[in-house]
Amino acid sequence: MNSRFILLLFVMAGLVVAFAPLPVQPITPQERTFRIDARQYAYSPSEFKVNPGDKVNIQLVSTDVVHGLYVDGYDISIEADPGQTKTLSFVADKPGSFRFRCNVTCGAMHPFMIGKLTVGTNNWLYRSIGLAVLAVIGFLPLSSFIPQTKNMD
Amino acid sequence: MSRFELTRIPFIKNTLKSRYPQLAVFIVMLVGYIFAILAGLIGTPVGSHNFSIVFVWIAWWAILILVAVPFFGRGWCAVCPIPLPGEWLQRGAVLSPPDKKPKWLNLRWPKFLRNIWMQNISFLLLALFSSVLLTTPNITGIVLAAMLFAAIGLSTIFERRAFCRYLCPVGGFIGLYSQTAPIELRIKDKQICVTCEGKPCYNGSANGYGCPWDVFPGGLTKNTYCGLCMECIRTCPHDNIAINLRPFSADLAKPSTRMDEAFKAFIMLGSAMIYAGVLLGPWGAFKDAAYNVGTSAWFIYAVIFLAIIFVILPGFFTLGILKTKGSLPLKQRFASLATALIPLGLMFWVAFSLSFVLTNASYIIAAFSDPLGLGWNLFGTANAVWQPMLTFVLAPAQTLALVGGLIWSARTAQKAANEIRTSSISVIAFSFILTLVMLWLLL
Amino acid sequence: MKRSELISRILITVAIVSVVGAPLYFWSHTPLIHVHIAEDGGWSPDVIKANVNEPLNLKLTSDDVVHGFAVGQMDMQSVDVLPGKVADVTLNFDKPGIYTFFCTRWCGINHWRMRGTIEVSGSPADPSTSSGQRPEPASVPMYVTLGLDIDAPHDSPSIPFSQPSAINGQQLAVNLPIDRSTEYYLGNSPYQVFDELGSTSLTEIQRWNVVASIWQSNTTPESLANGQHLFAQNCAACHGENGAGNGVFADDLAAADESSMQTMAGSDNMTMQSPVDFTNPTRMLGASPALLQGKILRGGMGTGMPMWGSIFTEEQIWDLIAYLYSFQFDYHN
Repeated sequence: MNSRFILLLFVMAGLVVAFAPLPVQPITPQERTFRIDARQYAYSPSEFKVNPGDKVNIQLVSTDVVHGLYVDGYDISIEADPGQTKTLSFVADKPGSFRFRCNVTCGAMHPFMIGKLTVGTNNWLYRSIGLAVLAVIGFLPLSSFIPQTKNMD
Repeated sequence: MSRFELTRIPFIKNTLKSRYPQLAVFIVMLVGYIFAILAGLIGTPVGSHNFSIVFVWIAWWAILILVAVPFFGRGWCAVCPIPLPGEWLQRGAVLSPPDKKPKWLNLRWPKFLRNIWMQNISFLLLALFSSVLLTTPNITGIVLAAMLFAAIGLSTIFERRAFCRYLCPVGGFIGLYSQTAPIELRIKDKQICVTCEGKPCYNGSANGYGCPWDVFPGGLTKNTYCGLCMECIRTCPHDNIAINLRPFSADLAKPSTRMDEAFKAFIMLGSAMIYAGVLLGPWGAFKDAAYNVGTSAWFIYAVIFLAIIFVILPGFFTLGILKTKGSLPLKQRFASLATALIPLGLMFWVAFSLSFVLTNASYIIAAFSDPLGLGWNLFGTANAVWQPMLTFVLAPAQTLALVGGLIWSARTAQKAANEIRTSSISVIAFSFILTLVMLWLLL
Repeated sequence: MKRSELISRILITVAIVSVVGAPLYFWSHTPLIHVHIAEDGGWSPDVIKANVNEPLNLKLTSDDVVHGFAVGQMDMQSVDVLPGKVADVTLNFDKPGIYTFFCTRWCGINHWRMRGTIEVSGSPADPSTSSGQRPEPASVPMYVTLGLDIDAPHDSPSIPFSQPSAINGQQLAVNLPIDRSTEYYLGNSPYQVFDELGSTSLTEIQRWNVVASIWQSNTTPESLANGQHLFAQNCAACHGENGAGNGVFADDLAAADESSMQTMAGSDNMTMQSPVDFTNPTRMLGASPALLQGKILRGGMGTGMPMWGSIFTEEQIWDLIAYLYSFQFDYHN
């Protein structure tokens, strides 16, 4: 086995970790309703999870000034004044983890008013951890041996 | 390693050697910079609709960290407008050296400050106030103006570009990360420099000025302190200066042994992680603490910020390399092995900035037409709405950056460890753990 | 000096002078009304002068969060004032007087303090051409003519066991000798009418149903819809979207007490109260429309309840009151 072959092996393994389709466990879709309070500059709750296929209703309650809620990846949004709760309904058909953020300028830190919606499992996180592990495994034997090989020559 | 000399192409060489193309770029940059100061001071206090915030912290930052630094190293320094007014005053000319030199103090920079600790401090000063700085046009305007005037002041007291070399908060990390860039300015033949009389590249001549960055090009081995100002190309009487294309991270093969540079690597690494958690995370309390400068929450934030950078990260790093066998003292092992954190930190910043920039780039379009928030519509795009871009490629792109950064860092660690005959395992493990944390924060 | 050097210097000087001068010129020639949350100063300026029958052009920009602009008692669409954006408004006044403008988008617990005035001078135009603008000084409100003390307790001594149904009351009311004038409805609380119906042979719940039907007959679906709209926009943030007094600012109001007040001149002694619960029958059934009108017109005098007299038209207030009673009466089935 030469090193080029090993490298190829690692690249193949990396591609598998990055792109292999995952088994989808069949979960009956549910309707889920969340009430999210928005204030300068945070949502509460700021993180929530649903299952793929769920019908999600987000009730946005602004508690100080006008806020909005935009969901990355889904490209949908809603805006709510204090006293006028608005509901954003959508089917969570894209798995993964998505940031949701305020889309109505609500003060200085508005660009950083962020929450997190996870649909199913946060696949990219696990895939990237897999890739990182793979990368380190590829380096570990080399790392410990290099000083000795250098000593030998 | 293989190099390709770009200056062999006559067009490139002539463009770099002539002062006019550079001057044209300088004027555009200076006009933009002054406009940013003005916009910060008189424009709308709403950052996302003010030229100063949108063009500095979104557009410039995106170009700097995603393009200029990774691909052109100190390319930004080559066109940066901040030192220009001071330098023109100092030189008494905007083009070739004048017949009569103006009389300024022209002092040497004090010896004990000839390191990048001042840059580490100036960066941290901005970093601790960054939530306010990033979002408040007024403050951004004042900071930009302060840097311009500091550069002018230093030019009249000290020789060359003291501000760029020792004080600029941005210059420190650009220099550190420029070592990874696939571009470099080097001499072609060492022998020519050895026999060269007068060393006009350092001392200046009628054709140009001595190196503004206080570097003797003949001794250049890494990019860190070469500002790509092109003066030596103009002054070298032997046509011995080249701009080369080279492999990425070529400079990292020879690890630095300087503590100021090692800590710069930790500062940048730690800041990227803290920002990823505070600014892009879902935790409102952190944002409040970071924004409300002067409150007790902010002081706690500042202490934690500094502790992560100066105690926690270097502490674990030291613990990791404590037991490794090596002939060098711990301090030198520390500085050498910290080289591995340079590509890691750069890619952390890339991953962090990707999210921020792709989300907010659409502000640029609107601010272009109404830079001061006065209701103008110069190019008909003032009403462009905020719309995050390419959010679906964000997670894969960040994975690529972070895992790529880990591999790059591991490879660098191996080379650095090899160079000083020690094991790189603990450094790779350190990089691995930080990468996991960063993945968790961003994905 | 070489010519190239001279030209370069001139070029640089011209570039710098123009990049500083041009924006400064345009900036100083753009009079903007800057809008902040009340705590940071509200409208600046907050007094605007205008002349009768001369178009008044205003450029408004928000320096922090979303605000809105409208002139009280004027038939106009409110204008959103967005952060960093400039909103253009042109107003036309055909009568002199002092008009109140106010913020129309909730921007914090002190949102309702964001008010300013437009002083319109000049002689009134020909009355025949006047549009539906701000009416002549409003007639004396009913609570004054009736001599109601709007701060006195007005609890209903008796309340129904279930929500009274207007539909069920309609049938019963047909043959009853009831005063069907508007004045009677406006001047009496539901409990007073319930009490007067004590002379009939109806049961208690039947009497409440009749009261509900009388209240329904004095409003229209359009009025209720308009009232609901006004309530959502202006009242729900404190009184709650369901009227239960539990709006998003209710807790803040109770907690804020004097602390948030001291920034406002002359209001050191104010104390915040929890907003009224309109679903509470004891309180609502003991209040007549005239009493509620008084409370809305005048405001809560330091309780955090704004004064709406200069903002709502009389018709808007009656619509709002009609909607408030719908928290007590079932108008649907």
